[in-house]
Amino acid sequence: MFKCTINGHEVEVPEGASVIEAFKLLKEDIAHYCWHPGLSIAGVCRLCMVQIDDGPRLHIACNTLVKDGMKITNQTEVVKEAVRWGMDFHLINHPLDCPICDQAGECGLQEQYMKYGQYDSSMAEKKVKKRKVVDLGERVVLDSERCILCSRCVRFTDEVTKTNELGIFNRGDHSEIGTFEDQPLDNKYSLNTVDICPVGALTSKDFRFQQRVWYLKDTDSICTGCSTGCSIKVYHNKEGLFRVKPVFNEKVNGHWMCDEGRDLYKHVNAPVRLKQILKSVGNEWFPLGLERALDHLNEAFSKAENISVLITAQHTVEEYKALKNWAQQLQDKTINFVYWKNNPESFDSFDGLLIRGDKNPNTKGLLEAGFEFADASVLDSSDLVLAPMPENPAVYPKYMEKLEQLSKLQTQLCLLSVSNITQHETINFADGTLAIPMKTAFEKAGHFINHQGLTQKIHKGRVIVKAALGLDELLQAIKIGKWIQPQLLKSRKTNESSKVSGELW
Amino acid sequence: MVTVKKVQRRNLQTQSYIPSLLKGLGFTFSKMIKNLFNQDKMPTLNYPEEKYDYSPRFKGNHVLTVKKDGALRCTACMLCATNCPADCINIVASEHTDPAVEKFPIHYEIDVLRCVYCGFCEEACPVDAIRMGPEWQTAGVNGSVFNYDIKELAHRPGLKGGAVSRVDDLERHKAGI
Ligand code: SF4
Ligand code: SF4
Ligand code: SF4
Ligand code: SF4
Ligand code: FES
Repeated sequence: MFKCTINGHEVEVPEGASVIEAFKLLKEDIAHYCWHPGLSIAGVCRLCMVQIDDGPRLHIACNTLVKDGMKITNQTEVVKEAVRWGMDFHLINHPLDCPICDQAGECGLQEQYMKYGQYDSSMAEKKVKKRKVVDLGERVVLDSERCILCSRCVRFTDEVTKTNELGIFNRGDHSEIGTFEDQPLDNKYSLNTVDICPVGALTSKDFRFQQRVWYLKDTDSICTGCSTGCSIKVYHNKEGLFRVKPVFNEKVNGHWMCDEGRDLYKHVNAPVRLKQILKSVGNEWFPLGLERALDHLNEAFSKAENISVLITAQHTVEEYKALKNWAQQLQDKTINFVYWKNNPESFDSFDGLLIRGDKNPNTKGLLEAGFEFADASVLDSSDLVLAPMPENPAVYPKYMEKLEQLSKLQTQLCLLSVSNITQHETINFADGTLAIPMKTAFEKAGHFINHQGLTQKIHKGRVIVKAALGLDELLQAIKIGKWIQPQLLKSRKTNESSKVSGELW
Repeated sequence: MVTVKKVQRRNLQTQSYIPSLLKGLGFTFSKMIKNLFNQDKMPTLNYPEEKYDYSPRFKGNHVLTVKKDGALRCTACMLCATNCPADCINIVASEHTDPAVEKFPIHYEIDVLRCVYCGFCEEACPVDAIRMGPEWQTAGVNGSVFNYDIKELAHRPGLKGGAVSRVDDLERHKAGI
């Protein structure tokens, strides 16, 4: 360990740490664009200037290693002047796009400009115009005028995905980010380039112009897309959920997440949700109050001889525990648990970075809950099947086929569903089938256990469907015959997005 | 114990309002007679048949300006909506087919009943897309007409073809900005 002094504060850093890492450790402010903790060092933006031990020249903090006893500062006038001029160079050709730029509000350039800006341009030359609104494939749009050539995105495709799509073309002030012959940037992690781009040069097609970022709040959560369980932030406001971004988690995902996980918010928003309890009678659906639905369920449970639960690994540890307790209390009945694996062929696959074939966030949690699983064939002989469905049925085609089969056998189902299952085109549900709106992982608190056996917490965020219940809440309601809304959670774990934006880029 | 205070009846002091009263009445009547014989110099208007035109700087009804080609100038940056203390501006942005425009509002609505006519929207706009004009009559009969949409804000008949914004992208582009 080395001891150094930064702006008068002493700090101990491991040998080999860079000066900028020491600044970050102390949470001291330092301007920087090109340095990113998850990438190699480029040293191109020249903004992270520091003065070391009264030396005559300034150094860049990202590419200077800490030595024992170093005295480092970035508070002197010399440093500030250097940053100011660095900023001026970055802004020479920068367009006046903030009003239509999605990055505004969490833009590195805006932030440094407010701190160090010269405010009046000293350029007599015309700005160099570059390509705008360049389609970079399925998910990303490039605006090369806004690019400050920090090369983070290039290093990302070189070092993390190793797909090498992006590069810097041409020289001098004609330098431009792009792909070779405008081939699409299509790797499964492409949206990370949008996150790390410190300016609005790379924007996400999906989020483009949807919201201004200062209208959004965020909630910490865990991605439910696969068993890796990346740490994420979900951004939302009263109109719904708008985007998902990764949060640094050393043990799980590092700084990144996959593109598929970013789409997860879509099945949570109101237009596609089931919003009330519906009962199927003669191929038609009728709305039902909760009390009457519970009566109906209790009756069905007492009549049924053979009850099965068709469960997937998409629910929280708490919900499995509630399910187990509930089954134990119904001692006079046989309850069979059928564990539904969606894609047994590719279930154990792994792409070497983050994406796993197991498309469930809590497989370990389900296996550790202590159920004894029966063979799927018991479903066919059941009178009643309780089916807490996977959140996004589109990823579970076989599960839907099974429900269709069961409906053909006239098996009564109790569906707990996020999506509006009653709109399903081909399934004709048996009479007495209930569809109950279910909470998504973003609307409830609980724990998931990921593939490594790491227990991670999810926080309750914005509630989109008020009538939705968690599996545990439904079981409790069945048990006592009614449902009492719990006290609204006192501290909703919602942060002002402006606070975290600095960390994101 | 109760003390009874004797109320003084008429004396000079309590009667002294009468001269002032007569003076006031005299003023009113003299003005009336003056106006009756000099009707064209009367400062009041016979509203609503006659209307007063405020100066262009008056902060009355909002106007969305247009570009030279007649398209809406607004870029849907939402700075006006962000700055609005009454939270009465509602904008939905969308991607324009012309990459030079990029972003534009497909929906822009001001709830003028909530508006406090502070002019903060006008101040926030970076491209002179929203102004507050000299029109000030907002009376209406039906609640729904108080949500002014793009048609009302930019193309109402009173604007006679629309107000043209001072900030022109093409000119800025040519000037190398
Ligand atoms: S990148 Fe930043 S400074 Fe540049 S236009 Fe976008 S928000 Fe403005
Ligand atoms: S596109 Fe963004 S991340 Fe890539 S070099 Fe330009 S500014 Fe940096
Ligand atoms: S005048 Fe004030 S209250 Fe009215 S829309 Fe503009 S900002 Fe809002
Ligand atoms: S009127 Fe002006 S401030 Fe408001 S959204 Fe349009 S461009 Fe932005
Ligand atoms: S962060 Fe050090 S030069 Fe860019």
